[in-house]
Amino acid sequence: MYNEKKTIDKLKVFLTFGLIPVFVFSVVVLLPILTGIGMTFTTWTGFSGSLLEFVGIENYKEAFVDTRFWGSLGTTLRYVFYTLIFTNTIAFGLALLVTSGMKGQNFFRMGFFTPNLIGGIILGFIWQFIFSRVMIYFGDFLNIDILSSSWLAGPDTSFWALVIVSVWQNSGYMMLIYIAGLMGINKSLLEAADLDGASTWRQMWNIKVPLMIPSFTISLFLTLQRSFLVFDVNLSLTNGGPFRSTELIAMHIYNEAFLYQNYGSGQAKAFILFIIVAIIAVTQVGIMKKLEVES
Amino acid sequence: MSGGKKMKKLSVWFLMLVASLVLFACSGDDQSEETDAGNNNQGDAEETNEGDIDLEGTEISILLGKPEIAGQFETAVDEFSDETGIDVTIIPLAGANAFEKMSSLYSSGNAPTISMMAAEFETFQDRLLDLSNEPWMENVQPGMTDFVEVDGKVYGQPLTVEAFGFIYNKDVIEAATGEEFDPSTINSHDSLEALMIALDEYEGADAIHVSPMDWSLGAHLTNPLFAAQAEDRDERHQFMQDMIDGNASLAENDVFLGWMKTIDIMKEYNQNAASPLAPQYDDGPSAIANGEVGLWFMGNWAYPQLKEIDPEGEYGFIPVPISNNPEDYGNSQISVGVPSYWVIDESQSSTEEQEAAKEFLNWLVSTERGQHHYVNEFSLIPVFDNFEIEPQDPISQSVLDYMKDLNTLEWMNLYYPADGFPAMGAGLQQYLVDIWGKEELINDFESYWESVE
Repeated sequence: MYNEKKTIDKLKVFLTFGLIPVFVFSVVVLLPILTGIGMTFTTWTGFSGSLLEFVGIENYKEAFVDTRFWGSLGTTLRYVFYTLIFTNTIAFGLALLVTSGMKGQNFFRMGFFTPNLIGGIILGFIWQFIFSRVMIYFGDFLNIDILSSSWLAGPDTSFWALVIVSVWQNSGYMMLIYIAGLMGINKSLLEAADLDGASTWRQMWNIKVPLMIPSFTISLFLTLQRSFLVFDVNLSLTNGGPFRSTELIAMHIYNEAFLYQNYGSGQAKAFILFIIVAIIAVTQVGIMKKLEVES
Repeated sequence: MSGGKKMKKLSVWFLMLVASLVLFACSGDDQSEETDAGNNNQGDAEETNEGDIDLEGTEISILLGKPEIAGQFETAVDEFSDETGIDVTIIPLAGANAFEKMSSLYSSGNAPTISMMAAEFETFQDRLLDLSNEPWMENVQPGMTDFVEVDGKVYGQPLTVEAFGFIYNKDVIEAATGEEFDPSTINSHDSLEALMIALDEYEGADAIHVSPMDWSLGAHLTNPLFAAQAEDRDERHQFMQDMIDGNASLAENDVFLGWMKTIDIMKEYNQNAASPLAPQYDDGPSAIANGEVGLWFMGNWAYPQLKEIDPEGEYGFIPVPISNNPEDYGNSQISVGVPSYWVIDESQSSTEEQEAAKEFLNWLVSTERGQHHYVNEFSLIPVFDNFEIEPQDPISQSVLDYMKDLNTLEWMNLYYPADGFPAMGAGLQQYLVDIWGKEELINDFESYWESVE
C-alpha cells in the first residue's frame, strides 16, 4: 500500500486514513485560530450582527500602547521564571528522594502527586483560606511578624503566594516524569561507576543528569506552558488583586475581552501571547535537544 | 522518498480544500438562517393583524441573572405556567457573566425571550421590545426607568432596587454612645467622625469595617462622588462627560474633596487599619452582625447573611457624607438604584412569545400571587407603588424610608465603562494602604477617565 503509482490511488490511501483526523483538526484547531487572527483586524465585539469593520492593525496598536498589558506580561515572566526553577528543582529532588529506596516511598509518591489531582479553582480557595486565616492564626500565636497579616493583602506577598501554590500543585506531576527518567537509566552504568569509585554526587552530575535530559525537556516545557497560561489558580486565589498587581497575562486577556468588552484588543493580545509562548517553547526544546546524549 | 514528498504536497492541498469547504459550509448556513428569520418576521406581522392571540402553549425562555433566587424563581414560574398555560424555560447564567451569555445566545439564534440585563443594555438595545405602553408603567416609581429609556421609549422593567451606604448596627452604636440612635443625625463629616470616635473609644467594638473588594470600592463607594455633584440629573451627567473630556479638575472639585475627607475618616477608624486589604467579603457580615463594628460600607444584599448570624439585629443605612454642611445634596441621601432590568427580545422572538413575555412581567408585579413571590420569596424591594405587600426586614425598611422621602442618589455607576470599577477600585486600594497619596489618586482618576472613549 505504500507503492501506489497513480495519484488517484495515493489520494485514496490518504483519504482512507487521513480524512477524519484532518477534518477534525481543521474544524477544531485550524479554523478557530484563523478566524481568531482574522478578528484581530476587525471591530467585532463578540456576537453576530455587531459592526464588522476592517480596522487594520488598530487593535495591535492599542495592545502595544497598553501599559497594563506589558506590566501584566512582566509579572507573568517573573512568575514563570520562579515557578520554572522551583517546580523543577523540587520535583527533581523529590524524584531522587522517592527512588532512593527509603521506607514507604510509594506512599510518598502518591502524597506528593495528590495536589495535582485537585482542580485549580478548589486549590485556590483552599490556599486562600490558608493564607488569610490559618497562617495568621499561627503567626499571631507564635508572634512571627511576616505571618501575622494576610499575604494576599500586599502585591509582593500575593505574588509569592501564587508562586508557592503553583509550585506545590505542579511539583508532584513533574516528579513523576523525573521518576520515569531515573528508572529508565541503565543500571549497569551506575554499577560500573560505583565500582570505579564515583561518589553519589559525581554519579548524579555525570550520569543521571545527562541521561535524563529528555525528562528535563518535557518537564521544563510543561512548566513553561502551564505557567504562561495559568488562569484558575490566579482567579480563585488572588483574582488579580490587590489592585490588579497579580493579574497574570491569561487573566488580563480574559478580562480585557470579556469583562471590559474590548474584544478586538483582547484577541490581539492573545495572539501576541501565542507568538511569545511559541518562540520561547520552541527555543527551549531546540536547546534541550542539543544537550541530549546517548549512553 | 519522492513519493513521501508528493504525499506531503497532496495533504497540504487537501487540508486547504477541507478548510475552504468548511468555511463555505458555515457561511452558507448563516445565510439560510437569516432568510429563515426574515420569513418568520413576515409571518408574525400577518398574525398580529389578525388580532387576539391565544397564548396557551406558547414557549418562552428567561435568562435569570440572579442565581441566589433560582429555586424560588422556579416555583413562581411553575405557578405562572399553571395559571396561563404558557411554558417557561429558565436559562441559568451558569457561571458566565451576563454579557458573555447573551452574546453566545444571540449569536446562535437562541435569544432568550426575557433577559435580565444591566450594563449590557446599550449593546442590545436595538434588539429589544418597546415596553412603554405596558400597564405597570403607570405604577413604576419616578426615575427608575431612566437608564432604559431611549428616545422616549422604555425598553426595560426594573427588577428591584438595591441600595448601599454605611450599614449601622443599632445595638452597637447605642451601647457606644449611650443614647437612642437617630440615623438622620449623621449628615456631615463632623457628625460621622463623632460617631466613629464614640465607637472607637467604646471597649466592645471597633468603628468601621471596610471591605476592600474592587467592586465595593470602585463601583459603590465612588458613586456619591459622581451622584452628589449636582441635584440636577443633566448637570451631574455633564460632570462625568467633563471628566471624560478632561475638563474637570478633581483637585478643585468640592464634592470630590469632601468625599475624600470621608474616605480619610473611614481609613482612620478602619477596623483593619493595619492591613486594610486583608479582609474577605465574608468578614464584613460577620463583623457587623456579631457586633465587632458599628458600621460597614455595603448594600442591602448583605441582609440574608446578617440575618443568618443574628436574626434579631437592627440595622439600617446612613449616607456617605460629602461635606460638612448637613444641607448639602448627598449628605442625607443614600445611593438607590436598579441593579438590573427585565427586557424582552424583539429580534428573534415571535409575536406570541413577545406577548407571553409581557404577560409574565405583568403577572409578576401586578397580581397578588406575583407580588407575593416577588416580595416574600425573592426578597426584592418593589419599585412599584401598587404593591400591597412590603418587605419587613430592617434593612429593606430603611431603604424604603429613604425612597419615600425621595432621599436617593442616582446610581451613576451604571454609566461607568466596563473597566471603570476595577480601575478606580485599584486606585482606592492603593490609597487605603498608603502606596498612593491624594495627589496620585487624583491623577489616576483623571487619567483613567480621560482614557475613556
